[in-house]
Amino acid sequence: MSKNQKTIVELEAVAKVYAQGDQAVHALRGITMSISEGEFTAISGPSGSGKTTALNLIGALDTPTSGTVRLEDADLGTMSRQALSLLRRDRIGFVFQAYNLLPVLSAYENAELVLAVQGVAQSERRERVMDIMAQCGLEGLEDRRPSELSGGQQQRVAIARAIASNPAVVLADEPTANIDSTTANTLLGMMETLNQKQNITFLFSTHDQRVMDRARRVIHLVDGQIDSDDVRT
Amino acid sequence: MANVNLKRMAWRNLWRHRRRTILTLSAIVFGTFLSIIMQSMQDMNWADMIRVAARLGAGHVTMQHPEYLDAPTMSRSVTNVTQLRAVASSHPDTSHVVERIPGFALLSTARENIGAGFLAVSPEHESEDTLQILEAITEGAFFESSTDSGIILGATLANNLDAELGSKIVYTLTDRDGEVVSALARVSGIIQTGAKTVDSTICLLPIDTVRELIGFGPEDTIQVASFIDDQRQSDAVAANLKADVPATGVAVLTWAELQPDLASFILMKLAGSWFIMGIVGVLVAAGIFNTMFVGVMERLREFGIMLAVGFTPKQLFRLIMWESSWMATVGLAGAAIVTVGPYWYLSNVGIDLTALMAGMEAAELEVAGIGLPNPMMVGIYRSNLVMICTLAVSAVLLSGLYPAWRACRTEPVETIRVG
Repeated sequence: MSKNQKTIVELEAVAKVYAQGDQAVHALRGITMSISEGEFTAISGPSGSGKTTALNLIGALDTPTSGTVRLEDADLGTMSRQALSLLRRDRIGFVFQAYNLLPVLSAYENAELVLAVQGVAQSERRERVMDIMAQCGLEGLEDRRPSELSGGQQQRVAIARAIASNPAVVLADEPTANIDSTTANTLLGMMETLNQKQNITFLFSTHDQRVMDRARRVIHLVDGQIDSDDVRT
Repeated sequence: MANVNLKRMAWRNLWRHRRRTILTLSAIVFGTFLSIIMQSMQDMNWADMIRVAARLGAGHVTMQHPEYLDAPTMSRSVTNVTQLRAVASSHPDTSHVVERIPGFALLSTARENIGAGFLAVSPEHESEDTLQILEAITEGAFFESSTDSGIILGATLANNLDAELGSKIVYTLTDRDGEVVSALARVSGIIQTGAKTVDSTICLLPIDTVRELIGFGPEDTIQVASFIDDQRQSDAVAANLKADVPATGVAVLTWAELQPDLASFILMKLAGSWFIMGIVGVLVAAGIFNTMFVGVMERLREFGIMLAVGFTPKQLFRLIMWESSWMATVGLAGAAIVTVGPYWYLSNVGIDLTALMAGMEAAELEVAGIGLPNPMMVGIYRSNLVMICTLAVSAVLLSGLYPAWRACRTEPVETIRVG
């Protein structure tokens, strides 16, 4: 964990309990952790360990049963639905396991989507998106629809979409799960480069060893609790 | 937020399931086409019938004695015809104003005595635009003046009286005091409309000749009839006339009040057609709703993603409503393309009713004594066309409301897997 850098994400005694029929499922049991600017961190753990829930809470997609989640000092628990929507738009980038691009938009349109929603002017948008697409190795694929792209290419577009708006943190859910090993290594290398060159904070949820090998910090969850928190130098 | 092109996204979304969209559009096109053609048949057909009824009867709006409708006797007349004509003529929707004396007469020849309806008319004011049977004078001619001594008989009536052009006819009426009066006339014309009711029961007489016979002055008459170009204005014209004519002594009635049988028939038919169109509308709307709803439920995950990356629920709502709007626009355009050809044919060539009703002659087609026009042409009032199109668009937009609301209620965490 970087000691000298600004804290981006902070979880304080966060618990999440789901109701499953008559049963209460404790997905998270009072975890406390923080992520600093520029980190390249993986949350790992077996299925049901709570990593999905943790990412949902950090991504302002869900609310904790107890405890506090802060993003850049903003307490998500006190924010309205509209405010959370704007926070996601402006400060969080998402990369999903299943790419989740909008099928009716071209690669370029998908990559510029968040900027368009933000209302960034078209000329500025174009400049930024073309630059990011080039960094993501998507030159020449701008006009293709997702159905015309390979899995790896789609995930590149998803990464371009996530970083285009210069978010405080990119949350990546099993980004390598659906792609072959070579492509996975290339994508991880690309994200590592973006992290190192542009200081973009990445937070992965994964059980892919390749991701954990590249992460500079690995938070291991077991049964909704932090089992270990390893920072590599 | 203005930079997201929701219209373009909605348009593309519409064509993601091309076959489903085409089926839905077909429902809109077919429903609108059916409604327009059905309404066209109604509008033109009923307008024609009302025009014919007005030209056979007492116009679209009639001024007469308030008690004449209940007990039609010559004592129930109106006076100041010149003033009433002037008031009626001053209305901008009025095209013609005529004065008439209708009644019953006993017609006698040397061989026969037959009762018939008569209409005393003014040749100076009447034309085929106000008195349709003038088109059907097959022998002789219309009166030369209001003081003419002729009589024009329906062809069957003439035949039953064993009369022909030039034959002497004695007609007997009751005058304004209830006394029986008679006059001699010579047959100056024969009418052959083909309609049995008309040909066997109607005769025409010159109005001033009748006035003198029944004791009317030159300013007395039974009816002052107004003809208007658009029958839908009858009520408005009647309302204006009521305000303009003397408060007592004159009743202003529309064709519907004078011919309630015909009015009821038309109302019944209109109600029936609106009921059918309502059912068609509901079925079409249900089909569209189903398509929109299924389309939304299939895309909940996508909506979750959109909300996750910063779309607002309001934007999702607008996206779905744009999809509905496109559906309505394309459906309406399709309906226009599909409708133009058949509408042109039916409004220019028409439907031959005798071909549909085997064994019937055109003149035999009648409702409440009013002949049906044959061939039946179609034509739709602009207001009805606008109403149908508005209803079609509204049905499509309303069908999208709930799916749009459902879309914007999507919880991203429930529809996408983040970790």
